[in-house]
Amino acid sequence: MKLIQFILIPVFVIAMLIYVRRFRTLLLDRLIAILIGVVAILLVLNPDWTGFLAREFGVGRGTDLMLYLSVTGLGFFCLTLWAKLQDMDARLTQIIRTQALAESAKSSLPEVPGKE
Amino acid sequence: MIGENKKNVFFIVPERNEGTVIRATLEPLVREGYSVVVVDDGSTDGSWEKIKALPVYALRHRVNLGQGAALQTGMTFALSKGAQVIVHFDADGQHRLKDVEGLLKPVLAGEADVALGSRFMRREDAKAVPLSKRILLRMAIVVNGVMTGLWLTDAHNGLRVLNRRAAEGIHLRENGFAHATEIIDQICRLKLRYVERPMRVHYSKYSRAKGQSMWNALNIVIDLLLRRILK
Repeated sequence: MKLIQFILIPVFVIAMLIYVRRFRTLLLDRLIAILIGVVAILLVLNPDWTGFLAREFGVGRGTDLMLYLSVTGLGFFCLTLWAKLQDMDARLTQIIRTQALAESAKSSLPEVPGKE
Repeated sequence: MIGENKKNVFFIVPERNEGTVIRATLEPLVREGYSVVVVDDGSTDGSWEKIKALPVYALRHRVNLGQGAALQTGMTFALSKGAQVIVHFDADGQHRLKDVEGLLKPVLAGEADVALGSRFMRREDAKAVPLSKRILLRMAIVVNGVMTGLWLTDAHNGLRVLNRRAAEGIHLRENGFAHATEIIDQICRLKLRYVERPMRVHYSKYSRAKGQSMWNALNIVIDLLLRRILK
């Protein structure tokens, strides 16, 4: 493994996690997705580029580079999906909780005596 | 003073499909004069009908959300009713009321904001825990200690007492069993004063049959790690 891989892999992973946890916005999600799509199409149209890039990064063959990029891209999509599910979960909880509290108001024991 | 009026002490009992034992669990609490809030978390066994008929505050999640969510709903409700002290208590009969009194003492005396139950403070309590579970819980304690800096003797115990200040500060976002770790996290963050007190879990044939077991404890350890990475 070359030094650059040691550095880039954790950097990428941490960057993705930080992004998904803190800085996600719909626009950024889409821009990143478009960027990945454009890069993918360009590399498909110019396969020589992958060889060139692979050598620059010390990866080996162009196909290896494509594999790593694909995996990264997929990982990113999965993380954003997960983040969206978390958001949905939170909203669902909010609805159910609000309903539970509202219904309790109709039929429960009297107030605690001596409450300030 | 809080202790003089037991009605200011609110027991939060999250419940799901505990229809066969729920009345037996709640009766001693009601008899002692405490306020009891039962949160039915989407039960399908008709326990809701039984709960509604008892002299307790009865709340219901129409859909199952998880024990953490049920606890939070119960706490929000109790605070709105003027609760001064909140107790987390299991619905399945695993917790003993007399252990709660030991946890109430330091909180009522103003010595702590949170009292956490522990199965490992007394030999006889620890012996009552099945071996496989004990091993995994010990692992959870170490992981929890390393990650939060909080070295508890029992990192995953559902019996807790919180004063109003602690309950107001804590807000559970984790719906499932991960809420236990979240509570410890928040105690840390909010710099709440906490103590541990001994308690014993009563593992009856009924609760053993439910299958809550070592896999749960393994999940807790994994969850602790994940939360640290993804937080």
